[in-house]
Amino acid sequence: MNLPTSLKIVSNIFRSQTGMRFVHMSPILEKNQAGRYRTTPRKNFPLTYEMANPPHQIAHRKSWNSWNTSNILGGNRPSETAVEDLFIRKFIEGTWHALFLSEIIIKRQHNLIRIAGLVNRGVLPRKMYFLIGYTEELLSFWLQCVVKMEIQTVADKKDVIFKYI
Amino acid sequence: MLNLTRNLELSFRKIDKPLYKAYCNASQGKHDEFKALNIRNVKDHSHSKRSVKKTQVLPPRTNQMAVDQDWGSVWPGPRSFHPATVPLPIRQGYTEKGAPPPDKYANAELMKIPNFLHLTPPVIKRQCEALKQFCTPWPKALDTMEKINKHFPIEVTSSDYCYSGPSIRDPMARIVTLRFNLKSLNLDDRAKDKFLRLVGDRYNKETDLVTIVADRCPLRKQNMDYVMYLLTALYHESKKIEPWEELKSQADMEYYDWTKHASKTNVEDIFKCKFEEIPGIDKFSDAVSEYMNEGENEYTIKKYGEAVRTLLQLPFSKEITNKPL
Repeated sequence: MNLPTSLKIVSNIFRSQTGMRFVHMSPILEKNQAGRYRTTPRKNFPLTYEMANPPHQIAHRKSWNSWNTSNILGGNRPSETAVEDLFIRKFIEGTWHALFLSEIIIKRQHNLIRIAGLVNRGVLPRKMYFLIGYTEELLSFWLQCVVKMEIQTVADKKDVIFKYI
Repeated sequence: MLNLTRNLELSFRKIDKPLYKAYCNASQGKHDEFKALNIRNVKDHSHSKRSVKKTQVLPPRTNQMAVDQDWGSVWPGPRSFHPATVPLPIRQGYTEKGAPPPDKYANAELMKIPNFLHLTPPVIKRQCEALKQFCTPWPKALDTMEKINKHFPIEVTSSDYCYSGPSIRDPMARIVTLRFNLKSLNLDDRAKDKFLRLVGDRYNKETDLVTIVADRCPLRKQNMDYVMYLLTALYHESKKIEPWEELKSQADMEYYDWTKHASKTNVEDIFKCKFEEIPGIDKFSDAVSEYMNEGENEYTIKKYGEAVRTLLQLPFSKEITNKPL
């Protein structure tokens, strides 16, 4: 097959002699999938309360994980706050590795940042106290705000499970 | 001889095992120094898993709390909810099928929401008592709003914004609003007219209040100074009479003053006396002024007609008598 013939075939795909087009496109499936979990056949996938409620239930059945005044109308530095919150989450995820059982809750009041959440009693209390001090010290140095960790320890991972799907 | 060996064996058994083992040649099981080579990788259960030492966790504080404890010292300041500190059977969360809401233990929703556990009524009372020493009593003479408005006619408003963030500065805090009653300036008619022309739409006719907003300077103090400067300048400018202001004629007047117009002289000519002596002249002058100031509409025309009939003592028309205004 030389080049002119192949071009002709390709052009015929897009435009037949009757003027119809043979390339079809399906409509976009506008389905919300973020923050939603699918059921498993054995119904043994654990969900926390936070996971059990999809994002559209925020402010109805569950509340926000970030509390600040940046996102109100006319609030100052919204982008900085969002990036800082992301940084705090990443930092804590790495520092308290596999210890946080809930989402990391960040509440801001003036120049005070409160970081709350449920923590597994996986490490010795001594180490946990160290981690609290370490996190507070480093984050307050980077963010130039007072940082407070207000954690609640949980004896078992299963304590935070709301339901199985 | 046989008897002796048997006795020995029996006595050895009575001796402590470790001691016996130390003198024994036989293999000593897992404590053997030389381990057998495990070629086929058969699982050897002799090495048990390292046991994780569980730290002892104290029971929640709420179990030991007295009923009459001082809650203000248990929860002195704002902080996230903690179930072991709050002795209340709180539940939060949505469940289906009539199940009870999740309780306070391991409940992240309770940690998210802001709580006011540090601001219970007794604590507020205590804090108010502590703050009282820094307060001065309200002046007894200023007991009514009229007196307050008379002695302090100027009202300055500015806002402090409490935002979350490392900086306490907010650009909107610079805005200063000055409000005062126009009456408190004690201006005469001419000066008042000039003042109103200068302030424009900053004057509210219904409340008789002038509102000046300054936000052009970067700092509040500068805006405050600017606003006070504006007030001073406005006052003195409206008091001042420029030479060109004398040229103001009747046509330049912004409202209709009946006493200065032809209508007054005409009425005086008809009645041959001063207009104050004519009965019903107040109604007539009001009606004419309203007609000229507000413009021609059904109400002003009817009122004018009625006033003219009263002034000239003419009978009322049927329509007017049936529908008195």
